[in-house]
Amino acid sequence: MSAPLLSVRDLHVSFGGVHVLQGIDLDVGSLEIRGLIGPNGAGKTTLLNAICGMYRPRQGSITFDGTSVVGRKASDIASLGLGRTFQTSQLFKGMTVLENLMTGLHRQTTTDFLSAAFGLRRASEEEVRSEEEARRALHFVGMSEFADRPATALSFGQQRVVEIARTLIGDPKLVLLDEPAVGLSINRLAELDTLLRRIRDQKGVTLILIEHVIRLVMDVCDRVTVLSSGRAIADGAPEVVRSAPAVIEAYLGKELRARNSAS
Amino acid sequence: MLLFSYLLMSGITTGALYALVALGIVIVNKATGVINFAQGEFFMFSGYVGWMLHVQYGLNYPLSFVLATLIGFVLGMLTDRIAFRPIAKNDIVSLVLATVGIGFILKGLARVIWGGRSDYLSFPPITSPDPIMVGPLMVVPQQLAVIAGTAVIMLVFAAFFRLTRAGKMMQATADNARAALLVGIRTDQIYTLAFGTGAAIASAAAILTAPVTLIYPDIGFAFFLKGFAAAVLGGLSSLPGAVLGGLIVGIAESLAGGYIHSSVMELSPFLVIMVVLVVRPTGLLASRRARTV
Amino acid sequence: MPFGRRNVFLALLAFGAIVPAFANGYQLFVCNLVAIYIILAIGLNLLVGYAGQLAFANAAMFGIGAYVIGLLQVHLGWPFWAAFPIGSLVAAAVGTLLALPALRMSGLYLALSTLAFAQATQWVFLHWETVTFGAGGFKTPQLSFAPLPIGKPAGLYYLSLILVVLLYLFARRLVRSRIGRAFVAVRDSEVAAESLGIDLLRYKALAFGLSGFYAGIAGGLYSALLNFVAPEGYDLFQMIIQKSTIVVGGMGSIAGSVVGASLIILILELLREVKGFQEIAFGALLVGFVLFMRGGLIVVVRRYLSGWEEPLRLTPKAEAPGLPRPDPQPSVAEK
Repeated sequence: MSAPLLSVRDLHVSFGGVHVLQGIDLDVGSLEIRGLIGPNGAGKTTLLNAICGMYRPRQGSITFDGTSVVGRKASDIASLGLGRTFQTSQLFKGMTVLENLMTGLHRQTTTDFLSAAFGLRRASEEEVRSEEEARRALHFVGMSEFADRPATALSFGQQRVVEIARTLIGDPKLVLLDEPAVGLSINRLAELDTLLRRIRDQKGVTLILIEHVIRLVMDVCDRVTVLSSGRAIADGAPEVVRSAPAVIEAYLGKELRARNSAS
Repeated sequence: MLLFSYLLMSGITTGALYALVALGIVIVNKATGVINFAQGEFFMFSGYVGWMLHVQYGLNYPLSFVLATLIGFVLGMLTDRIAFRPIAKNDIVSLVLATVGIGFILKGLARVIWGGRSDYLSFPPITSPDPIMVGPLMVVPQQLAVIAGTAVIMLVFAAFFRLTRAGKMMQATADNARAALLVGIRTDQIYTLAFGTGAAIASAAAILTAPVTLIYPDIGFAFFLKGFAAAVLGGLSSLPGAVLGGLIVGIAESLAGGYIHSSVMELSPFLVIMVVLVVRPTGLLASRRARTV
Repeated sequence: MPFGRRNVFLALLAFGAIVPAFANGYQLFVCNLVAIYIILAIGLNLLVGYAGQLAFANAAMFGIGAYVIGLLQVHLGWPFWAAFPIGSLVAAAVGTLLALPALRMSGLYLALSTLAFAQATQWVFLHWETVTFGAGGFKTPQLSFAPLPIGKPAGLYYLSLILVVLLYLFARRLVRSRIGRAFVAVRDSEVAAESLGIDLLRYKALAFGLSGFYAGIAGGLYSALLNFVAPEGYDLFQMIIQKSTIVVGGMGSIAGSVVGASLIILILELLREVKGFQEIAFGALLVGFVLFMRGGLIVVVRRYLSGWEEPLRLTPKAEAPGLPRPDPQPSVAEK
């Protein structure tokens, strides 16, 4: 078995005295779709934030694609091939959809400010190529018609899809998705499911997704990790994890479990 | 020791005034998220109004005090209606500029209405100007009056926030505006109240200062800058922080001016700010809020 | 390039080129002043409107440019043509350093620390008398355009005009490029920008440095225009004027900077007659613009001049902190 793409060991993250992550171990293999679930406050978003460099852990190691990333700048880690979407829409509201995507090509492009300011030909050529690639990326997620609309003109669900496209255009190896299904209708859920699979199969991207929509997690994820109160309490295939006692307890509390086993 | 006590008292006095200006800034900021750049002009304008009431129309000092403060309150409410409410969702530069605009209007008005006579107005002192000795400390009674007055004002407002319903609603709104809306608090009224209260505090400060300083149209901005510095020092969302910040700025300014050189007086508040903001960007007493996405 | 805008600007340029032929000394002075403020406004717009950094130090950069360029001539005997680029670069360098605090704080805290820096600079101008000549300021040597057969007022005016055109074109190309997008990304969502590999420090430093450079150039021109440098030209009132030019013209629009700067300077000069009411009028103007012309004058221009098509990057309506944020719309009826 090849080395995992992402490897987290004994991760501890604290904020002002609150010990949010208390020793997380996690291995995600290449081309996996990993689900990350758990009750609110379990530390799921914190874990993603630590992986992508937004938070500095107190202790522990994070290895991405063979490189240690603890303590590195978020933009540097992104440049290693790590993408991320957020719970709230983080599209650049002052731009059109197409421009948002072209921004996603930032680390792939090289025009510096002097070339741009002087209007050098290589700058405008790169700009044309970027626009073409952005259109292709939009097409991949089925949003081509929205290319020239301002980002703010899209509905929330549409914005989330564009955000995914924007993350993908940079050719990441791993993408962290924070609740991609929030606010989606049943139809859209099925489309998201298909999209996630296409991203893995056609683009070769590994995915980790935080989700509360359990149906999606069960359908699309290869493995699921369950977090509760800052610890990983279960890790395995979706059906197995779902009925693990520790997981039920974490979600519903001890009493219900006792009632279940009594009946 | 004598010099030190003099400088200290002088610093505490001006510090108390900066604290009041800072309080006004923090109150508005906590409730609305905006820095009211006209705060200094409220101070200045009410100072003039107080002068007009007390010196021109001969009303006694306490009455002038109350009236000027009320007028300040009204000014604050008007500012909210004109320059905040309609544009509350705009970007912050526009909001700031709108309050700056109000400040200019007030400054121009003051110049037009009262500037005709000499530009610097003096207010008769309310206590004897001779210094007295309290133990080893040399104090000027006027300073004590200012400090006492400031303490009273702060207590009044603290009581307002803790004990009255309006005050508690303001705290709730400042804490979590959406939750406040959900429990039926009329947040737009709260914003008006916040602006009004902030202005009233500045006005009160002005009337307290008037006997010890000359009033002139440009005084507003100088006080605003120091007050703003004090507010940031204390942490923009902390009321006791504003008081602490004001005292620190006042004392630092006074000591630097006395021991180093008078020219440093202008600079020291800013050095203080720059150092604090680099070391502890959220201010001395503010609670840290983690960035959530 | 689309029809409407290019022709408008060519017309303006043609007009601007012939101004010295018919304008008197004062009018030429005002036109030159407008050019200087356009440069300031464009630089400030890059920093505040595009990169979203709420900085109040631009007037200080303006002053640093003017002082360095002037002092190099007065103390070290440098000719203007050598001092000018060097002084501008110094202003740019100082501006870049301000990016460091910009990393640790944003919004109002950044505003305050840049304000503090500006006041400190002002203090240095006032008190470091051996070098800066203190409150009284100092005169700079008269500028000569020899061997060109042109006098100083007209010569300086054309120099300013040429620089305006160049700096305008630079800025326009910049904002339509990958760099411009990076600025807007930093403004609209730092976390998302970082997640796309945009280095925050680098781009903030670039934005600060650029606005410093523009301000430095403007400072050099200004000191040459007045033949005089003194602290009060670079104080907070100055800063407010500059901010007003970009709000009035339209933040996030380079063309808007042209409009805003022109208008504000013209109004200020007109109001000079009625000094007592100058402040009231200026204040009312500010409030009026903010209230009724969201997005600045450039929005009006866009509406009435077809074919304008500048990519408009208005600073979006933020949810003011403390006010309830609208809930994200769950898409019930998605198209």
